[in-house]
Amino acid sequence: MKFVKVLVILILVGFALTAFAAAPAGKKAKTIDELVKMYDSSSCKDCHAEIYAEWEKSLHARSIFGPAEVGRTAATLKTTVENGHKDWPYSGVKKPEDMKVEHLMVCASCHLPQLAEAEDSVAQEIMKNVYAFKETDDAAAMKLQSLNINCLVCHQRNAIVHKWVDGYPEKNVVYGFKNGEHPSPDFPKMKQSKIMGESILCGQCHGQGPNFAQDNPTQCATLYGSYNFAYIPEGERETCQECHIKKSKLGHNMQSYRSPEMAKMALDMHVYAEAFQWRDVATTTPAATVIVELKNKAGHAIPDG
Amino acid sequence: MTTKTPDGKIINQQEKIYMPIPQQFGRGDKMGRGPYEKSGLLKDTSLPPLRTVKETFSIPLYKESKKDGKLARTIISNDITVEVELWYLPYGKKDDEGNSQMWQKVTKKLSIAKGGK
Ligand code: HEC
Ligand code: HEC
Ligand code: HEC
Ligand code: HEC
Repeated sequence: MKFVKVLVILILVGFALTAFAAAPAGKKAKTIDELVKMYDSSSCKDCHAEIYAEWEKSLHARSIFGPAEVGRTAATLKTTVENGHKDWPYSGVKKPEDMKVEHLMVCASCHLPQLAEAEDSVAQEIMKNVYAFKETDDAAAMKLQSLNINCLVCHQRNAIVHKWVDGYPEKNVVYGFKNGEHPSPDFPKMKQSKIMGESILCGQCHGQGPNFAQDNPTQCATLYGSYNFAYIPEGERETCQECHIKKSKLGHNMQSYRSPEMAKMALDMHVYAEAFQWRDVATTTPAATVIVELKNKAGHAIPDG
Repeated sequence: MTTKTPDGKIINQQEKIYMPIPQQFGRGDKMGRGPYEKSGLLKDTSLPPLRTVKETFSIPLYKESKKDGKLARTIISNDITVEVELWYLPYGKKDDEGNSQMWQKVTKKLSIAKGGK
């Protein structure tokens, strides 16, 4: 009997510990700063300096602010509230302060997926900064840029798509190609993500069409749809990573039309032109014909997103 | 595409737009513009991957008039320059520094023979 009792106590202790360990993961961020801290990637810089510097130049590093200085993405968030939510009778949003995580998720599911782990106060703080941001208001601009698709979004949170098959991502692990020790105190383990080199990693954000998982679907990008249904049928199978990270030689500075490297890779243009005189009995008609041939060499339609 | 005379006068301008045209809330005939109102496509003129799209532009190089009740076509210029520019316009306008990009430009000089019958 004593033996059994001891076992019971041990099991109980075990339970208590598990519950305690699981709690912080389930705790939601109350402020932008708390959310930034939950996905703090600044330590990666110490050892992966080159990758970090590349990433900083990419739009992923400003995923709710948008291209440097212009702040186009932040401006679009504002339009979404002004021309969208406020206008829709059943959205529950009458003024920007009514924006909850659920409302912002129409954009954030791809622009800031970790917002799912934040309370509505964070959605409100984001909106406050979106409205405050003007070209001159550096504080609001910096605040918005502190939220982004960083190392831990791709190498942890979103590194596993099929969670019932591969398991749920763990907080002290960085996911890449290998299993083993990782010499970082906060992330002592390295595990293999089965999709790190696969297009679906990027496809989870780069769009197939309306996002039907939401009460009011949005459609920002359709690029992954185009990749699957227009590029793959051509018999090609290069991945997003092969073109955007390797062939472009841009590494983690994933780019598109703004970069000369990508523009060169994008299409071939040939122009054939001739001038001639056509004749209908006595009337001569001087004219020219210009033929332009465009071949899209990307892995998806141009333009898309 | 812009056609000019040797002194720079524009005599013809044509453009062709390539883009997916999203439907507003997946209904009706209106395009949706903001991502929050786009769902589905009405039409798609974007450049498909690995396909060659061929565009033919015809440029008339004459002015028309009536002479003694008969149609006459007089040449505007024997020498012309055709400029073909390919632009990427993320927000739909050229005049948009930092966003709009000119990807390619090809210039061709053409001429119409003088004299003869
Ligand atoms: C103290 C130095 C250090 C820090 C800090 C560090 N790393 Fe690493 N990381 C390494 C080293 C060294 C390797 C290579 C380990 C090996 O190959 O055995 C590595 C490997 C990796 C890999 C696996 C690459 C592959 O080929 O599979 C990923 C992904 C990664 N790190 C991401 C991160 C992220 C994200 C952060 C920040 C949260 C980070 N690292 C912080 C040193 C560090
Ligand atoms: C948008 C997603 C994304 C983000 C953000 C991202 N990575 Fe990666 N990373 C990848 C992918 C995909 C690969 C694999 C590339 C390939 O196929 O070789 C990779 C590869 C790596 C590797 C191993 C290969 C190598 O080049 O050494 C390391 C280390 C790494 N990333 C670290 C980081 C760090 C540090 C950050 C933050 C500064 C970061 N990554 C941000 C997607 C991302
Ligand atoms: C967590 C979601 C997410 C993942 C995963 C992701 N992206 Fe992105 N990516 C975005 C968002 C959002 C933007 C646009 C940010 C903006 O416009 O403000 C973007 C921008 C880009 C751009 C720049 C587009 C432009 O307009 O210049 C490229 C190129 C790109 N991503 C490629 C990739 C590739 C390749 C991968 C996979 C290795 C990947 N992305 C993975 C969300 C993601
Ligand atoms: C065969 C090479 C190739 C493959 C494969 C490829 N891309 Fe691209 N991608 C390009 C080129 C070249 C551009 C520049 C043209 C442009 O901006 O439209 C580009 C542009 C983009 C853009 C910006 C599009 C725009 O018009 O704003 C995004 C985002 C992007 N790619 C993501 C991806 C993702 C995600 C995948 C995988 C599902 C992928 N790409 C596969 C070559 C490729």
